[in-house]
Amino acid sequence: MHSNTLNTNQIMRQVIYSLVLGVGASFYFFGWGVLMQIVLGVVTALAAESAFLRLRNMPISPAISDGSAVLTAILLAVSIPSIAPWWVIVVGVSFAIIFGKQIYGGLGNNPFNPAMLGYAFLLISYPLQMTTWASDFLSFGVSIDTVFNLSSVDTLTGATKLDEVKTQISLGSKLIDIDLNSASQTLINIGFLVGGLYLLIRRIIFWQIPVAFISGVFLTATFLYLIDDKVYLSPHLHLMLGATMLGAFFIATDPVSSSTTPNGRLIYGFLIGLLVVIIRVFGGYPDGVAFAVLLMNIAVPLIDSYTKPRAFGK
Amino acid sequence: MLSGTHKGGIFIPNPYPVKSIRLYQAALPDKVVLPLNERMTEKAIPCVSVGDRVLTGQLIADNEDINSVPIHATISGHVISIDEQPIPHKSGLNTQCITIESDGKDEWVEGNITNKDFLQSDPNSLIELIHRAGIVGMGGAGFPTHLKLGLAQNCNTLIVNGTECEPGIMCDDALMQNYPREIIRGVEIMLHICGAERAIIAVENDKPEAFNSLLLYNYNDKISIEYVPTKFTSGSEKMLIKGLLNIEIPSGGFAIDEGVICQNIATVKSIFDAVIEGKALVSRIVTVTGDGVSMPSNYEVRLGSSFEHIVSKSKPNNGNHSIRMGGMMMGIDVETTDLPIGKISNCIFVNNKVQKEAPKECIRCGTCNQVCPVELLPQQLYWYSKSENTDKAVEYNLLDCIECACCSYVCPSHIPLVNYYSFAKALHFKKIEEQRKTDIARERFEYREYRLERNKIERAEMMEAKKKAIKEKMAKEKSQKDKISAAIERVNKNKKNNIDA
Amino acid sequence: MLDSVFIFSSLALLLGLILGYAAIKFKVSGNPLVEQIDAILPQTQCAQCDYPGCRPYAEAIASGEAQINQCPPGGQDGVDALADLLNIETMELNSEHGETKPKRVAVVDEEVCIGCTLCIQACPVDAFVGSTKVMTSVIADECTGCDLCLPVCPVDCIDMVEVKPTMRNFVPNISEVVNA
Repeated sequence: MHSNTLNTNQIMRQVIYSLVLGVGASFYFFGWGVLMQIVLGVVTALAAESAFLRLRNMPISPAISDGSAVLTAILLAVSIPSIAPWWVIVVGVSFAIIFGKQIYGGLGNNPFNPAMLGYAFLLISYPLQMTTWASDFLSFGVSIDTVFNLSSVDTLTGATKLDEVKTQISLGSKLIDIDLNSASQTLINIGFLVGGLYLLIRRIIFWQIPVAFISGVFLTATFLYLIDDKVYLSPHLHLMLGATMLGAFFIATDPVSSSTTPNGRLIYGFLIGLLVVIIRVFGGYPDGVAFAVLLMNIAVPLIDSYTKPRAFGK
Repeated sequence: MLSGTHKGGIFIPNPYPVKSIRLYQAALPDKVVLPLNERMTEKAIPCVSVGDRVLTGQLIADNEDINSVPIHATISGHVISIDEQPIPHKSGLNTQCITIESDGKDEWVEGNITNKDFLQSDPNSLIELIHRAGIVGMGGAGFPTHLKLGLAQNCNTLIVNGTECEPGIMCDDALMQNYPREIIRGVEIMLHICGAERAIIAVENDKPEAFNSLLLYNYNDKISIEYVPTKFTSGSEKMLIKGLLNIEIPSGGFAIDEGVICQNIATVKSIFDAVIEGKALVSRIVTVTGDGVSMPSNYEVRLGSSFEHIVSKSKPNNGNHSIRMGGMMMGIDVETTDLPIGKISNCIFVNNKVQKEAPKECIRCGTCNQVCPVELLPQQLYWYSKSENTDKAVEYNLLDCIECACCSYVCPSHIPLVNYYSFAKALHFKKIEEQRKTDIARERFEYREYRLERNKIERAEMMEAKKKAIKEKMAKEKSQKDKISAAIERVNKNKKNNIDA
Repeated sequence: MLDSVFIFSSLALLLGLILGYAAIKFKVSGNPLVEQIDAILPQTQCAQCDYPGCRPYAEAIASGEAQINQCPPGGQDGVDALADLLNIETMELNSEHGETKPKRVAVVDEEVCIGCTLCIQACPVDAFVGSTKVMTSVIADECTGCDLCLPVCPVDCIDMVEVKPTMRNFVPNISEVVNA
C-alpha cells in the first residue's frame, strides 16, 4: 500500500518547473544566452548519463526519465555566464554528471552536489570564461555568435555586482562610492525565491535548510555589517545579490548530498550560509555558494551522526 | 487533556470503506487445518492419532512448555492427517498441522469448567483456565495470553485495544458492535485477574457505532471507553500507552514494567468465552475485503477453515487477485486462498492484481524519518540493511522497529523499506546464533586439545612410575639373588674346607 | 640549506624516540592478530585447510605461512572478512581445499551403530556422546559439520543431514527483499 503523494520522478519535475520564474527573469535581463546554455546543458547531461550507464551495463531508460540529470544541467547552466562559450557548459555538465554522480553509483549515492562540483571545476579551470558576464540583454543572433564563437562580437560584458564590490573594496574604495543597485540580480533572486516558496508549500523541500541558510547568510552579514558598514555589504544585499536564493532553495536543498536529520539540516544550512558570506568577503572568489556547499557536503556524515534523534523508549 | 496520540505515524484514508459493518456466521467448514504452533508459541505435541474421532473444543495437542498453548479441535469429526501443511507465514515454509474432517454435527466436548462467578475465583486459577483454553493475543502478535497475565502482579491500568488502526480491517469493529456485553464482562474478568484499578477501552474516533455500543453496555465505574485519533500505528501497544497515559515504555522493556497491561479486544472476548462459557478458543471474526470482492464483510468462522471458505462468500470478481493476510501495511502476501485461518488471522485482502511500481534509488529525502512512530532513522537503517551491516543497523535501533511500514508508505522512490528491516533483523539473529555456535565449537576444541595433552602427560607419568617400580623390583630381586649366590658360595666353601680338613 | 638538514634530522630523531618509547610502553603481549583471525574463522575444526584446527590455521595466516583462502566452511564471505582484517586484496576461495556446503550436522543411524567409539575419538569438538559397546549419538547443537567422523566409522552409519531453516530462523535472500 502506498500513499499517492509525489514519487521521485514527479518531485524532480516539480523542482524543474519551479525554476521557471528565476530562469525567466534571467532571460529577461540577459537574453537568449541563458536558454542556449540550458539547452546545451540538458543535451550534454542526457548524453553523458546514457553513455556512462551503457559503460556500467545498467538500464538507461529509468535513470534518464527520473529528471535528475536534467535538473543538474539546468542548475549549472543558470550558474554560469550566459555568454560562456558552448564548450564550457558541455565540459562542466559532463564533469558534473560523470564525476559528480555516475562514478558513485548514480542517483542517491553521490556525496557531493553534482552541479556545484561541475561549477567548482569550471571556475578553477576556466576563470576567465567563468567571470565574463553579459551586462545587457543579448539578442538571439548575438547570443549564438558569442556562445558558438562564430564571430568575434563586441558584446557588452562585465563583472557581476559582487565581483565589482570585491575588486573595488580591495582597491581601497568604500561601499558608498560604488553603485550597489542591481535590478537584474535582485529580480532574479526574487524569481528563485518565489519558486522556492512554491516548493516549500508543496512540501517538496523541507523548511529547515532554506531557513537555516538564509539565517546563516543574514546573521553573518549582519555581524560584519555592524563591525564596519563602510566595507561590508549589508545583509539585505547579501541576500539579493549573487546566487543566494538559488542556493537556498535549489542547491543546498539537494536531498542526496545534504544532511538527513531535521536538526542536522538546520546546522548544515546555517553553516553553508555562514561560509557563503565568509568566502564572499574574505575568500578569493566573488561568490561562495558552490564552495560553501561542497565544504558542507563533506561534513554531512559527521553532522548526521551527531544529530540522531532520540528514539522512542530510549 | 492528553492528545491521545503519539509522534509519527500517518493518517491513511480507508481504501475500502463500507456503509455498514456486516457480521455473518460462517457455515461449518468441511475440514480444518490446525497448526501446532503459530507465531510466538512453542510447538504442541499431538495427543490424538490419525483416525480418532474428536469433538469441538476437545484438546488435540498440548505441551508442558510454559511457552506453548494447547490446540483444540474446532469442529467435530475425524483426524485425517497429522503432517506438514502450508500456513500463512512470510517465509512460505510449512509447519506440522492436524487436519480434521468435519462430520457436520459440531458436537461440543463436555465437562469444561465455567466460572460464572469469577469474582470468587483465585486469579491464578483463571489464568490457568485461559491457558487451557488456548488463548493467544488475537490482534496479530499471538503472544500467549496466560504468560502476559501471569506477570500482572503490579498492574494498575488495563488497556483494551479496540483501535483497529490498520485501514480496511473491521473485525474488531464488528465484534464491538455485536458483542458489547461479552466484552465488558471480559474486561471485568481481566480486571479481577490483574488487580488493576481501572480499564480503558480505546476506540479510534472513526468508529462511533462501536463506541456507542460499548458505552451502552458499560455499567462499571472502573471501565472507561475513550476515543483515540484515527491514525495508523495508534494501535501499536507502546504507541497506545504513550497516547492514553503519556507513559513511554523504555526500549526492550515491557508494558507491565510500568504497571500497564494491554490486550486486544478480541482476546478479551475469548477470555469471556473461556471463563463464563467454558469454551476453548475455536473461532474468531475475520474481515474479507479489498477491491477484488464486491461484498466486503466480516465472518465469525471456525479456526482452521481455509481462506477460500469465506472469501467465496464475499463475491470475489473474476480476475487475477493478490491475496494478503493481515493488514495492507503490516500483513503478508500469500499465493493462494487455500491456507488455514489461524488464531491471529484478522483480515484477508483480496485485491485485483496491479503492477507494483518498480523501486527507484533512495534520494535521501528524509520523508521516512518524519513518519516513523518509533522516531528512528529509517533512511540510515535502509542503507545499513542493504549492505548487510547489521551491527551498525542495530546501533541505529533496528531492533526497536515495529515494522509498521509507515516509511514504505511514504517513500517517494517506492522502496519497500520495511522488507529490508525484516531481513536485517533475521540476519542479525542468525549472526548471533552462528557466533554462539562458533564460540562453543572453539571452546570444545580447545578443551579437547587440553584433554588429549593431559592424557598424554598422565600416560607418560604412569609409564615412568611403572618403569621405576620394575627397576626397583629388579634391583631388589638382583640383590636377593646376589645374597643367595653369596650364601651358596659360602656353603660350598665351608664344605670344601670341611673335606680338606 | 644547512638549517633544513638540521630541522629534519632533529624531527626524525624526536619522532624516532617517541615511537621507540611507545613500542616499549604500549607493548601488547601475545599475538592479538591470531585471536582476531581466529574470531573470523568458523571453528568447524575440519582441517580442510590442511591445518589441524582453526587456531593452527589462524597462526599460519598470521605468520604468513598460509593464504587466507583455504577455508571452505567460512566461504567467500570469510575470505573477504580476513582480507578486510589484514588490509590486503581479497581473493577467491581456493577450491582445492573443498567447496562451501550448506550447514550440515552428523546423524548416527542408531540401528547400525556398533559402539566402536572411533567417531568419538575423531570428533574435534567432542560432539559425540557414547562409550564402548554402547550406541553413540551426536549432540546436534555442537556438531560443526566437519565430516571428520565419516571416514572412520567402520559400518558407515553416519549421515550428514542438511539443517533446514525453520519459520523462526528463516532469512530471505537479499534479492527477494527488493522484489517482495
